[in-house]
Amino acid sequence: MKKIGKIIATEKVPTTVEFFYFWTDKHLIIKPFDVIKVNHLNDSITFGVVEEISHLTDGASFLAGYISSDFGEVEAKTYSNRIGMNYIKAKVVGNTKNIYTPVLDGSIVSLANSDEVTMALGLKNIKNPLPCGIIEMYEGEEKITIPVNFNSNFLIGPEGAHLNISGISGLASKTSYAMFLLKNIQERYLKEVKDESVAFVFLNVKGRDLLAIDEKTDDLPENDAKMYKDLGLDLNPFTNVKYFYPFSRDIKSTTYADVNDVKNQRTFNKAFQYKYVFEEDKNSLDLLFANIDDPNQTMESIVSTIISGDSQFSGIKDWTTLKDEVQSRQAKGDTGKDKTISVLSWRKFYRLLNKTLTRNSELFSNSINESNKEVRLEKAIMQIHNNEVYVIDIAKLDEEAQGFVFGDVMRAIYELKLGQIDREDSEIPSKIIIFIDELNKYGSKDVPKNSPILRQLLDITERGRSLGIILFSAEQFKSDIHDRVKGNCATHAFGRTNVIEISKSDFQYMPSVYKSMLTRLEQGEYILQNPVFRSPLNIKFPRPLYKQYKNG
Amino acid sequence: MPNKVLNIIANETNGRCYQSYRYCADDEIKIPTLDYEDKGDSFIIKNSYGETDTSLKTTKSLRDFSDKIINIEPLFEFFLDGSRRTYKIDDIEINRSVYPIIAGQIGVACCQRKSPDKFKCIELENKIVLSLPKAANPNAGDAKLFFNKLTDKVNQNSIIEKRELIFDKILSYDSRKQDENTKYENLGIATIQDEMIETEKRIVASLYSKRLINANRYLIKDGSLQYKPMKTGDFKELIKIKNHYKSVVGVSKMFNPELCVDHVGKSNADKIAELKLYHRTPVYKHSSAVVGDVYFAIWYVRIREKQYSSSPFSGVLKLEKILITDEEIENGLDSYEVDLITANIINERNPVCYGKDNRWANHLYPIYLTETFIKSKYLSDINFLNLF
Repeated sequence: MKKIGKIIATEKVPTTVEFFYFWTDKHLIIKPFDVIKVNHLNDSITFGVVEEISHLTDGASFLAGYISSDFGEVEAKTYSNRIGMNYIKAKVVGNTKNIYTPVLDGSIVSLANSDEVTMALGLKNIKNPLPCGIIEMYEGEEKITIPVNFNSNFLIGPEGAHLNISGISGLASKTSYAMFLLKNIQERYLKEVKDESVAFVFLNVKGRDLLAIDEKTDDLPENDAKMYKDLGLDLNPFTNVKYFYPFSRDIKSTTYADVNDVKNQRTFNKAFQYKYVFEEDKNSLDLLFANIDDPNQTMESIVSTIISGDSQFSGIKDWTTLKDEVQSRQAKGDTGKDKTISVLSWRKFYRLLNKTLTRNSELFSNSINESNKEVRLEKAIMQIHNNEVYVIDIAKLDEEAQGFVFGDVMRAIYELKLGQIDREDSEIPSKIIIFIDELNKYGSKDVPKNSPILRQLLDITERGRSLGIILFSAEQFKSDIHDRVKGNCATHAFGRTNVIEISKSDFQYMPSVYKSMLTRLEQGEYILQNPVFRSPLNIKFPRPLYKQYKNG
Repeated sequence: MPNKVLNIIANETNGRCYQSYRYCADDEIKIPTLDYEDKGDSFIIKNSYGETDTSLKTTKSLRDFSDKIINIEPLFEFFLDGSRRTYKIDDIEINRSVYPIIAGQIGVACCQRKSPDKFKCIELENKIVLSLPKAANPNAGDAKLFFNKLTDKVNQNSIIEKRELIFDKILSYDSRKQDENTKYENLGIATIQDEMIETEKRIVASLYSKRLINANRYLIKDGSLQYKPMKTGDFKELIKIKNHYKSVVGVSKMFNPELCVDHVGKSNADKIAELKLYHRTPVYKHSSAVVGDVYFAIWYVRIREKQYSSSPFSGVLKLEKILITDEEIENGLDSYEVDLITANIINERNPVCYGKDNRWANHLYPIYLTETFIKSKYLSDINFLNLF
């Protein structure tokens, strides 16, 4: 491969076990994340990843530049250009003979071929390969494209689990990237993996984002189709998809989906409407107050009182009666044995309960008509099958109801995986992957510590790996997310973000060039970090295969 | 310590080394050879012009001409510079006299500019030499033979071999008793300087014979072309090799203003100091008693505004060209060629090495680069001094 320069080791900037510097021609186009190789001791080769590129001339000062232009004549021309070169800081990522003594001054630096790049980045002979994008390296004739695979054991367990995607809305295409990976997982499990099974639960939080993921797109560009082909993937969207919309008679008042689309999905037995019935769902009542600051745990006490069926709450069978009962408490105070809950607390509880029940009067229902494709989410999830994808639409619900549904879904999955159901173990998917966008709503640092949703999230990220519950989450700003939630994610995908975000401590370990690249990443470009990769990777991925709505 | 270079010298010369303090002589000793090429022994040919246009009495602006040619290929493609660094490494007693042992690193390089961005060295001679008194030869036999044999012995020394270095030669300086103003150190240094000049001449001869330099591709040689004849060497007399210099222009950054005289022999240092930007003086025809029967065309040009310079002469370059043909010697250089050379020199004014070299106003960047390249090839002083 092309020789591009030589190692420089000086008194002030020596080569080390971790880093080295080399010079190149100032016209050579090379970019951060490109892999280069250096001839080292015992005929071994040390690989490095480009981190920083600087251009240097022999000009002693800015003033020398000004003087060299005839004291500020912009049009001044010269016969000689100032002597200059580029010098590059590279991070050592490996040596073919495991020799990690620093590379020597004057050693030749060359570009690497596809095989060498694959080896250098730890992408060779990856077990349980799961395509996660492609990397492009070098420019012009030297350009190479390499498919990149995760070891799926490090993405969805058992070795490592959970993925976190961050990046600003729109420009980062977080949902598209999550869907790309999830689609690949489904394809892999359908085609190759026989000893394990997987099922998916996606929460649709924005417009119609995920409401047609089993419908093929009509406008997949040729380049993207080629990328799928290069990665060994087929061009079909998700299969076995079921959509769950919040119940409302007219459909449209609780979802952004087109009414006809929903009806159409129903004819194919793909669409359902979910409801919450007091008698069966009262155990999830705490989720309604997840984001309420409750330092004295009065809300929690009230919820416990209701759930335990204490005193007057014992015979309640529907939401209306519950509301009436709570209303009576707030008027006269607790008349039961336990007088520890003040009237003020009941008033607060009533206010919040009434608000949610009034706004979502059809979602919180007193009965269910299964023949009308009405379901209870918990029950539906308990019945999820291998390779099935459940899309639960919560986009049009208010924030409390959204949190309630998300918490309920997580709880149901947890129960399912803990075997709290009368189903054969072999029928229960061995892994269930949850995808939630806007994680910051439920798992941010500002969420009250006693929030049941946060507790559920922590349970999943900390113990989900062994249970087979995997969380794929996305948010705009990683720095907002609870440390224990993001800290337990084995894989991180960084999409385009802004300068304020990269100044946060989450990005402290990143070289400054990578940081500034994060502010310039194009749509369809990510920086990936996974335990299997020796260095963060700058990958590209193709546009989704399913239908996307332009206006959300 | 029998294997040290100085021990070998002491043994072979029947001398005794004193293990004196070693130092880089360039900074310590003000040597007369510093302005070697401009010592005042050249003289003006009175009432004779150095160029064909004899009407030019004052100065001439070449601003328009240089602007006109800035977009065409530059005339100068090759740049030659020589440099040496000398060290006093010890004192040696021979026959009850004490002489210094001088060592030196010599570097001469020629760089070619193929495009504004492509600047490559095409010839480089990098050598290390020693200079001993002639009296170091203990035999009455051939001194050259003795010093050659001594060179071989020094090169077989393990310290030198281990570092993969080779002493190119051992030079010898006059060891007769000198007058009060002449020091042996300076004589030793002068031999090293001569060796450098010899190397410069050899490289010019090589470029000439390879037909690299010609009427369209000139060479700038840093410093004066007024080489004094030498006693030894293949190119000892300039008159015999002057044809090599047909496309060579000598550019001096430093010159003695007192020696600037017009064609009637009057000092015109003031006129040079007053030279306007991008103006050149008329060309003067010089000859030199030291150099011999060789005539030179000499003129001056200002390439930087006086207001930005530190002295009246900074920003002024002295240009020299050897008059080769009989016609040239008779009538002087073609004035068009003088203008072309001058305009090209003016266009070489940028970039500058401001901040890196105090002589930036008088430096031409390609020459500065060549000089920097040569110096980058030197062994460090501490490394060099520890060879002995």
